[in-house]
Amino acid sequence: MRAIPATFREQTRAARAFAEQAWSGASTTDRLALILVPLALMAFVGFVVSAVVMLGPTIDFLGANQPLVRFGVAAVGILLLTVPTAFVLIYMELKVIARMNLRVGPNRLGPWGAATSMIHGFKVLSKEDFAPTGADVTVFTLAPAVTFLASVMTLLVIPFAPGIFGQDLNIGLLYFFAMGGLSVLGLLMAGWSSFNKYSLLGGLRSAAQIVSYEIPLTLSAVGVVLIAGSMSMTHIVMSQSGSALDWFVFKQPLAVLIFFIAATAEANRTPFDLTEADSEIVAGFATEYSGMRFGFFFFAEYVNVFIMSALLVTIFFGGWTAPFNWPWAYNLNWLDASGIGLLWIGIVAVVLFVATDILGAAIWLFGGRDWSAPAAFGLGFLVAGAGVTAAVGLACFIAFDWVQGIFWFMAKTYVFVFVFVWMRATLPRVRVDQLMGFAWKWLLPAALLNLFVTAAAILILNQPVTPR
Amino acid sequence: MPSRTARPNTGAGARPQGPPAPAQHRSEDDPRVMLERDINADMYEPIPPYPTQTERESEFYSSGDGEMFINIGPHHPATHGVLRLVLKLSGEQIVDVDPVLGYLHRGVEKICENSDYYHVIDQVDPLEYISSLFQEWAAVLAFEKLMDVEVPRRAEYIRVLSGELLRIASHTLYMGFLALDLGGLTPILYSFIERDEIMEMLASLTGARMLFNYFRIGGVNGDLNHEFMSRLGDWMSRAAKQTEANAGLLNENEIFVRRTRGVGVLDRATALRFGVTGGNLRAAGVPFDLRRAHPYSVYPELDFNIPTRDEGDSLARYLIRVDEVRESIRIIDQCLHNMPDGPVMAKLPRLLRPRPGRAWGACEGPRGMMGVYAVSDGSDQPFRFRIHDPSFMHLETVPTLLPGNLLADTMTIVASLDPVLGGIDK
Repeated sequence: MRAIPATFREQTRAARAFAEQAWSGASTTDRLALILVPLALMAFVGFVVSAVVMLGPTIDFLGANQPLVRFGVAAVGILLLTVPTAFVLIYMELKVIARMNLRVGPNRLGPWGAATSMIHGFKVLSKEDFAPTGADVTVFTLAPAVTFLASVMTLLVIPFAPGIFGQDLNIGLLYFFAMGGLSVLGLLMAGWSSFNKYSLLGGLRSAAQIVSYEIPLTLSAVGVVLIAGSMSMTHIVMSQSGSALDWFVFKQPLAVLIFFIAATAEANRTPFDLTEADSEIVAGFATEYSGMRFGFFFFAEYVNVFIMSALLVTIFFGGWTAPFNWPWAYNLNWLDASGIGLLWIGIVAVVLFVATDILGAAIWLFGGRDWSAPAAFGLGFLVAGAGVTAAVGLACFIAFDWVQGIFWFMAKTYVFVFVFVWMRATLPRVRVDQLMGFAWKWLLPAALLNLFVTAAAILILNQPVTPR
Repeated sequence: MPSRTARPNTGAGARPQGPPAPAQHRSEDDPRVMLERDINADMYEPIPPYPTQTERESEFYSSGDGEMFINIGPHHPATHGVLRLVLKLSGEQIVDVDPVLGYLHRGVEKICENSDYYHVIDQVDPLEYISSLFQEWAAVLAFEKLMDVEVPRRAEYIRVLSGELLRIASHTLYMGFLALDLGGLTPILYSFIERDEIMEMLASLTGARMLFNYFRIGGVNGDLNHEFMSRLGDWMSRAAKQTEANAGLLNENEIFVRRTRGVGVLDRATALRFGVTGGNLRAAGVPFDLRRAHPYSVYPELDFNIPTRDEGDSLARYLIRVDEVRESIRIIDQCLHNMPDGPVMAKLPRLLRPRPGRAWGACEGPRGMMGVYAVSDGSDQPFRFRIHDPSFMHLETVPTLLPGNLLADTMTIVASLDPVLGGIDK
């Protein structure tokens, strides 16, 4: 028995002794829990209190600043979108080029090697973040961020579907080219700050190349602006709605060709990948980069391919519009998403159960001895689930024009992404003087010619017929 | 450098008493460790760490206004082996170039002089690792002259057959690597399919996949076998068509033709002055082929053409190779039809001691004249064994071809000359 301490000081001392004894006896897990649990409790209480207090003002603030909120949500959404896009593109490039080279390609991680690019992403995350001695570390660190953000932020004005876009700026196309042109700054920063001659040559090459090809790229899009009468991307897409014959590719065939070639150079893709010509200047501006800094460059490169394809589709190939007149009505009331109709619950819940039972029973009864009951019903569930998913997807496709829009937009975009990959597997690289000569001697005059012909045609065709 | 002294051991498991001993080895004291404060921009200039020794060296390493040095190699994605080219650039334009050799030097000639005549064949194999039979062939030709050995006709035909197969493999690889250095990803893999077929074929004939060690003084090691013949038959049934298809990938590619036409023109006089042989010389318009000029083996009995071109540029050098593949297929066809019966080895003593004398043996390899000059002093080892490698002569022309071209043309020119560093550095 221990005597009860009499004074306050003695009580305090006893309590401290007890606490010290308990702490030194506790395991590491217990100590961790002793620290974290109170902290978590406090954080939770604080969160609940602040949520209750701040909810009304927050909603009021968000409601009052809708454009700002929309911008924030769109920016976050686009940044999140780029990661899976880059993964898909990297995997696609590995696999498609492998098939064209009569190789198998990645086939170890995930089904058909589909997780390869994800693992590559984790790899660059886990690598050392290294800056070479003599490098200008500030610029060296900023360069990947500038390149990545400059290319990603152009996605803000691309309309993926009716209503699914970051901002519908009335200078959308101008914004696109302005932001896209910023990415050369990042490459130049990387080339200069790396303290490496290969990087320097790569950076200067990219500066010369992108600045040269920016001009025919922009000029080839001006014809479209003249026809559509607006630089808003949504407006350009809307003015191509109808069937495939209304797309601007048929009104501006030369511009499409110029745009595609210039876009290849803008995205630093073969045959214009001089900035990272591996057989000449090792890896160009990215020679000294490693880890996630290199990862940003890598991401930016692939996202650029997607962006260039998306822009090509948007201004020449009808964006999210269907290639033919869609025969069904867009909004069926009984499938309306806002009031979750009976059909949804029916399809998802009842049909799934019933179909699983029926299919499972059928497999179990008629499948012979090989099928145990769990295996039979498991397969039945898988088949029924796939069917229900397909049915729901089809219903969504019919019911929501934005699902349709995204479908057509992505389908068209990935066709051009495939063409970019295809070119990489096929073509050698041009030389730097040939590259510049081609831009200034051929593409620029052709783009100007296209612009003049378009302007003249609009002037003549839109001339009011005045009776004498 | 501080000496590393052992810490006094006070018995097994005993912990040192008192304060720990001060660190014996600090990186700051080690002259081999480079610290950040020692680094300055000059260190990155490829200026040799010794005073320049020749006039040429001091001229090369004094850069003018706006010029900079850049290293291509010895570790670079586009160098063939461990070649180092120090380029003096003005912008992207090459002002001067200094090739640096010797990263792969093994002293093969001296090794050969210390091995007996049978072992020499084994030593010369890895010189031109792409087409090792031809270096064996040159050595064997020299030794046979030295010893007056009569080679059976069947052995000669087998030599020609396997040699021409390897010539096709080498030329196919050349086409792929030229495309790869120009940035084309695909042709190299198509080339490797063809080359692997031939390599597997020769592996079943010789027992090894790259370094064959197949030719012997007085014949070859082993007769044709069933597996080789069936693989050869399979391959020959599609060889001509496949070769045309692979060449069409590049011949009809506008970018490829524009990158190579008129680049690195090696004119006739320069080529002869530098001792260039093989396809590079024939691309400059000189129809010199050892198989016709100084016939050896059974080549006089065979019907084939010596393709020549007049341009002397990289494209001509490439197209010569394409033509030579066609001719080699013709030669293989004739070999198969005319193959005589008989032994594949001459009767020779176990220990070879040729009379004192000297002999020069040379054969036409895929890159040019592969030569061997052997001197015998009557012992069982060659007194002198000199190897003439065509790649070395071709690489010598690089400093005259490069200046004035762009950085990207370095790869075109070097790849189109087709050097193999194993043979250059010996």
